Amino acid sequence: MSVMTSSAGGGTEAPAKKRRITLPVVLLAIAGVFVLLSALRIITGVDELSSSGTLRATLVAAVPIGLAGLGGLWSERAGVVNIGLEGMMILGTFGAGYFGYFYGPWQGVLGAILLGAIGGLLHAVATVLFGVDHIVSGVAVNIIGLGAVQFLAALTFSGVPGGGATQSPGIDDLPAITIAAISDPLGDLEGKNWFVVSDVAALLRALVTDLSVLTLIALSLFVFTYWVLWRTSFGLRLRSCGESPAAAESLGINVIRYKLVAVIASGAFAGLAGGFLAMVASSSFRDGQTGGRGYIGLAAMIFGNWRPGGLLAGAGLFGYTDTLRLRGGGETIHGLLLLVAVLLVLVAIWQLRRGHRIAATVSGVLGVLIGVWFFLSESVPDDLTGMTPYVTTLLVLALASQRLRMPAADGKPYRKGSAG
Amino acid sequence: MRRMTKAAAVMSVAALVLASAGCAKKSTDSAESSSGGDECVAEDSSKKVGMAYDVGGRGDQSFNDAAAKGMDKAACELGFTTSESEAQDGESEAAREGRLTEFADAGFNPVIAVGFAYSASVAKVAEQYPEVNFAIIDDEFAVADNIANLVFAEEQGSFLVGAAAALKTESDHIGFVGGVETPLINKFEAGYAAGAEAVNPDIEIDVTYLTQPPDFSGFNDPAKGKTAAEGMYDGGADVVYQAAGGSGGGVFEAATAADARAIGVDSDQYLTADESVRDVIITSMLKRVDVAVDTYLSDVDGGDVPTGLTRYDLEADGVGYSTSGGQVDDVKTDLEDFKAKIIDGSIKVPTKP
Repeated sequence: MSVMTSSAGGGTEAPAKKRRITLPVVLLAIAGVFVLLSALRIITGVDELSSSGTLRATLVAAVPIGLAGLGGLWSERAGVVNIGLEGMMILGTFGAGYFGYFYGPWQGVLGAILLGAIGGLLHAVATVLFGVDHIVSGVAVNIIGLGAVQFLAALTFSGVPGGGATQSPGIDDLPAITIAAISDPLGDLEGKNWFVVSDVAALLRALVTDLSVLTLIALSLFVFTYWVLWRTSFGLRLRSCGESPAAAESLGINVIRYKLVAVIASGAFAGLAGGFLAMVASSSFRDGQTGGRGYIGLAAMIFGNWRPGGLLAGAGLFGYTDTLRLRGGGETIHGLLLLVAVLLVLVAIWQLRRGHRIAATVSGVLGVLIGVWFFLSESVPDDLTGMTPYVTTLLVLALASQRLRMPAADGKPYRKGSAG
Repeated sequence: MRRMTKAAAVMSVAALVLASAGCAKKSTDSAESSSGGDECVAEDSSKKVGMAYDVGGRGDQSFNDAAAKGMDKAACELGFTTSESEAQDGESEAAREGRLTEFADAGFNPVIAVGFAYSASVAKVAEQYPEVNFAIIDDEFAVADNIANLVFAEEQGSFLVGAAAALKTESDHIGFVGGVETPLINKFEAGYAAGAEAVNPDIEIDVTYLTQPPDFSGFNDPAKGKTAAEGMYDGGADVVYQAAGGSGGGVFEAATAADARAIGVDSDQYLTADESVRDVIITSMLKRVDVAVDTYLSDVDGGDVPTGLTRYDLEADGVGYSTSGGQVDDVKTDLEDFKAKIIDGSIKVPTKP
């Protein structure tokens, strides 16, 4: 009992002793990535690597993944594994399509959140109240979400002009922000192809050109989540349910209620992710448009070590590689090879200094091989470019996975009174 | 504990019921919504045609809808009784066989399978039911005495819209967005590139496929289509042809945002796409699945059941280009020229890029 109490309090903050990730560190890391990218752009001559178009598309690609990941974060921080994110996202796409078309775009956003939350409620009732295995319930939610949406879509959109059994008519756009006074001069600056300066201009330009309000809301939700879960007593209690529910209950926390709230919120986030996909990334609901982004969101959350900042980085990385592939194809990805080669060689040197000979050799050889591939070829075959996001994620996970720590009681069914 | 188990059991049963409701919906409310206003022949319950759709089904405003249109027309004019059912994304081979077997068992004859995904299942079920006639669209590998393969010369139609793109572009830079890189979509790309190069040998053509098989989500992901097309327009292309099924809407959106132009596919998308993006669609590559289905059913009705390969090409009016919106009217004579040359054989259109 006493052991549990101590782990509940100190568990999540334990790594803080080693190296605290503060705001300056984060900013420095972002700047570092930017300098690297800029250098890569100059060396390879592939402008797409950091054009404002690429960065804007990256943002649009990353937000649904990131929101789904936030859903996973809320749920897993409270100790409930949520593999049903995909199903809740699908419900969200339909919510956006139905309410967005019949009532208006903002109602569409609310509809997406509402339908996602209903999916979350289902998962919450099954796992928290009835103690169903989290994976089984999550898979069921995915199947129910898909089936229910196909049924409802056929019911509501058949015969509607421009719609059909598998798609909604176009939804009106949410307001988007363009600050032309800043955007146009930045565009000129970007065109100059200066080292770092043009890349920063491209990034700023991506942020002031056709930026959907929903994108801003989504980004603020990351800050909101961090604040709620790590800076309020509500959040501390919620996280304690994921670390050691027995200890939490013994301290008078209503574990069941916190878990229910967390999983329903999780569904709402996933629903909003679906809504974003249907309303900002495209502008209609379409059957099957989630394409596994819910699972990728889950992966991004693990990638980010169950923290919002890391999750955002994971979603960004995934969105970026996917965007590069779609926009530039094999030639752009070819430019990325050089970066991967250099990074792997750096990792090899770092591992060698820490005395990890085998890891160093593996990274070194891989790095050299990829470097050779870069210099001997002009482009990456299409069959391989499709894998880029997944390979990148795997690479980073493989290098970082020893440092990941999930909530201690994640995935374990909890019954009221277990503390006794 | 026991009460918990019971409740969980009830939940899972409810879940299953809901899920199967989602799967088994169609096949009931189907053909009555066809060609309103026209006088139709009374349904003849002895003439039953079953149609198994590909993923998307009736209402996809594309491939499946074209097949449905053909069947509706034949049903109206010839009095067929129709029934339909639809494939699910990522379903198993057994599910497709089951769907066809169900039709054959219930006395539907002929049975039409829409899409190459049915290739293996049609071959198998046709062998088990030699007295039932099958037709499969877009596939020439399922061969038997009771199978008709209805295929299209997509490369010929794509050649014409490729020529249109090359004639209309102002930057000598055009693009192609394919949904999934399958041999079928390769045909679209090959014809498009050949047509563009016939007009301008130095033209620059960007090519992107949204996903690689076995990931078929590229046919249903407008967000990916939009990203890919945005990249092309940003890179200087001003006409993009999409053969990406449901992802094509994203291409049109990108074209609208970039104030550029796009080319539709399968049906006349100037008429079916959302109004806000209609003006960017200069033409569409028509693939007359409706003509193929209607012709097939008329032949069946006439007692002369077609079997084996029927290729619907430019000559048979199985493929073509649309002119709604009038944006290709100024180059129409050139396009008709190319069309005549393809039909008389002086231009051979490649099927592989």
